[in-house]
Amino acid sequence: MKKLFALLMAAMLLVTCAFTAASAEGEKYLGVMLSTNVMSLDTNLATDGESFEVIADCIDGLMQMDANGAAIPAIAESYDLSEDGTVYTFHLRDAKWSNGAAVTANDFEFAWKRIAKEAGEYAYLLDTSVGCIKNADAIIYEGADPETLGVKALDDKTFEVTLEVPVSFFPSLMYFPTFYPINEEFYNSLAEGTYGTSPETFLSNGAFVLEDYAPGTASLSVKKNDAYWDADSIKLAGIKYQVVGSSDNALTAFRSNTLDVVTVSGSQVGAVEKDASLSSQLKVTGAGYLWYLTFSQTANNANGYLANKNLRLAITNAIDRESLVENYVMDGSLDTYTAVPPQFAASSTTGEDFSADQDQFLDYVGFDPDKAAAFFETAKAELGQDEFTFTLIYGNNEGDEVAKVAQAIKADLEDLLPGLTVNLQPMTKSERLDKMQNDNYEIALTRWGPDYADPMTYLGMWITNNSNNYGFWSNAEYDQLIKDCTTGAYITDYDARWAALLQAETIVMQEAVIAPLYTKANANLIASGVNGIQFHPVALNRVYKAVVLE
Amino acid sequence: MLKYVLKRVGLALITLLIIVFLLFWLVRVMPGNPFPSERMNDIQIANKRAEMGLDDPVLVQFARYIIKALQGDFGNGTSLYYGVPINTVLSKAIGNSFRIGGIAIVIGTLIGLLLGITAALNRGKFLDGFCTVFSIIGVCVPSYVFLIFLQYNFAFRIPFFPYFFDPNRFVFSSVLPSLSLSLFTMSTIARFTRNEMVEVFDSDYVRLAESKGMYGRTLVLRHVLRNALIPIVTVLAPLVVDLLTGALVVEKIYGINGIGKLMVDAITGEGIDYNYVLALGILYSALYIGVMLAVDLLYGVLDPRIRVAAKGEEA
Repeated sequence: MKKLFALLMAAMLLVTCAFTAASAEGEKYLGVMLSTNVMSLDTNLATDGESFEVIADCIDGLMQMDANGAAIPAIAESYDLSEDGTVYTFHLRDAKWSNGAAVTANDFEFAWKRIAKEAGEYAYLLDTSVGCIKNADAIIYEGADPETLGVKALDDKTFEVTLEVPVSFFPSLMYFPTFYPINEEFYNSLAEGTYGTSPETFLSNGAFVLEDYAPGTASLSVKKNDAYWDADSIKLAGIKYQVVGSSDNALTAFRSNTLDVVTVSGSQVGAVEKDASLSSQLKVTGAGYLWYLTFSQTANNANGYLANKNLRLAITNAIDRESLVENYVMDGSLDTYTAVPPQFAASSTTGEDFSADQDQFLDYVGFDPDKAAAFFETAKAELGQDEFTFTLIYGNNEGDEVAKVAQAIKADLEDLLPGLTVNLQPMTKSERLDKMQNDNYEIALTRWGPDYADPMTYLGMWITNNSNNYGFWSNAEYDQLIKDCTTGAYITDYDARWAALLQAETIVMQEAVIAPLYTKANANLIASGVNGIQFHPVALNRVYKAVVLE
Repeated sequence: MLKYVLKRVGLALITLLIIVFLLFWLVRVMPGNPFPSERMNDIQIANKRAEMGLDDPVLVQFARYIIKALQGDFGNGTSLYYGVPINTVLSKAIGNSFRIGGIAIVIGTLIGLLLGITAALNRGKFLDGFCTVFSIIGVCVPSYVFLIFLQYNFAFRIPFFPYFFDPNRFVFSSVLPSLSLSLFTMSTIARFTRNEMVEVFDSDYVRLAESKGMYGRTLVLRHVLRNALIPIVTVLAPLVVDLLTGALVVEKIYGINGIGKLMVDAITGEGIDYNYVLALGILYSALYIGVMLAVDLLYGVLDPRIRVAAKGEEA
């Protein structure tokens, strides 16, 4: 028996040695953690940040983001804008797909028409609420002929886009993956449902080419694209992504040098800060997401009590947001008192952050127990009711800190508003969304990440009948303001539009349509020697084009 | 015997069909949404639902599903790996889980048997005690705890094995997860083998064989182990299914794209993916039913008495 054991051990050792030898590595790749699987590399189907990040590694759109998030030329060398601000003419540079074909204006025309025709999750970026591309609404929502979309390849190198109305932030939409090109001939040569499911079924025109990927895989890699139009400025040999389910595991993987870039949870930040070798590698970056409470204001739920403005104001003034971020979220997230979170939308004329001033709405939202009590008394009198019980729903698969935040809110509300009882009900995110969309909830803890760098990505949600207006709140003045800013009076006057947006936000805060809580940050660990990762709170969270490994 | 086999197979297929229907119906009444969209409006969602035929009566949907499934088409992902045919994702995941599970079964069963036999042959001595303690620890410690221990020591402190699963170095990076998964099987098998063998050693027929002068390897392998194997096979069957269907936490920790992880993603992801839940449910049930069927048939091979009984039934 001893012999058998010895033989077994020897065999195992041999096998392992053989495999270690076989895996000698070439130039070092950057090891990056992903929190969830990449769901799709098809721009029409991708909806999550992980997918967008990998798509953007491999494909360039007309524009790209600079370090500060501003739109700078990528495939488009330059563009002209017609005098009335509705026709963009993009002039394309010489660029190649990874199969050698030239990148042409038709690649954009084809891809955009496909987005409109398929009418998927991000098709709305083309419609009159955002991009205002001519005829997009009719195609997406009424099934009109996709050929009528206001985009046209004038020749191989000239791409013309016609808008319904001027859109001030249109060039910055162009770095969002929904607007990336797809080579029509290549796409049509593939079997249905296979585009973007392997390196062989995916073309790259960007900084990296797909090296190793399959749907569902927990690890994937991209390598430098030598045929990239700007290949000289790409110093990184490649990126190896690894999906890591738990942040404890991520931390150990970082310590073992398996990964160079990981995101740690708020509860780990304290330990990281105390560790001398790790604390210097900690970098907190804005994730853009605004976490907030939404209240169902219809008679279907909680006897319609939450339609009472003073009750909502009482709640929003009884939440200690500073304590939330310091004691429960703990990853550098910012306590937030505006309906549009800070750090992602700056005025193009003054450069000022739309939400830099977090104190401007303190009359309506903040942490003020006395004010909360006063609002509560008024609400009680108006409703003729002294005791209220509400159920707060939240996701149990949306991050470690969410349950803690929900508990802290319950404690705050029950403590400061005697007579108010909050029951907590955790559920999956999918169930939470389902309940909210069907108006079958009372209070929900939810979040929204900005899709584009304009306050409208948040304020557009509270108009009557918007599918994200989970409170079913409605205000004619507000609807008119938003309309004026998207398709009406203010579209050509940038500063007036900015002021009107602020006016709209003020209404949201006065009415406590939502109770903003905090703007999420990510606590990243970045290995020393890794420089140049660009973090953005909007569109593409991480960009690696400028990365240099020392 | 043939009639016996056919009857068993028929029963297995009917069971499977009932399970598939229950799953099909349950997944539709579960809370949650197959289109977890925050950006599509009602028109878009209604169109997508109609595209998938989700508004038809459940029985119509079920019939359509079964006809397609029989042709090997399990549909596309709706909220997981959107639009990609499930077969392509599933085949990779099954490959990973089966191979890692398979290695774990082989290691676990072989070492488990070895430990069990050693303990039984050394009843009451040190080795017996050692094996018993080992089995108790093995049964009590969850495989993922053992994995974390292995990962920490042999991938982090001594960076010999890869820290995460790497499909390009399959065998090498399967060592840690397979070892940790095999622990439970190993311990269970060792415990059962030991107890069964001790019992058989005490039986009259072994005493008779011994008194007739039989000893050593022939006695242990031919008379003791063979008779002890029947209950062991019974325990092994569900263990095999458990290991093959993926060890959810182990897959998650070690970054293995396997079916256990896929199942959890399909249920707790952004939306419930009806098609993945169903395809995996069918796979799980088919495996379980299949293995149970195999065990039933194996009994006949191992125990002539069962064969005789089956014949009696036939007659």
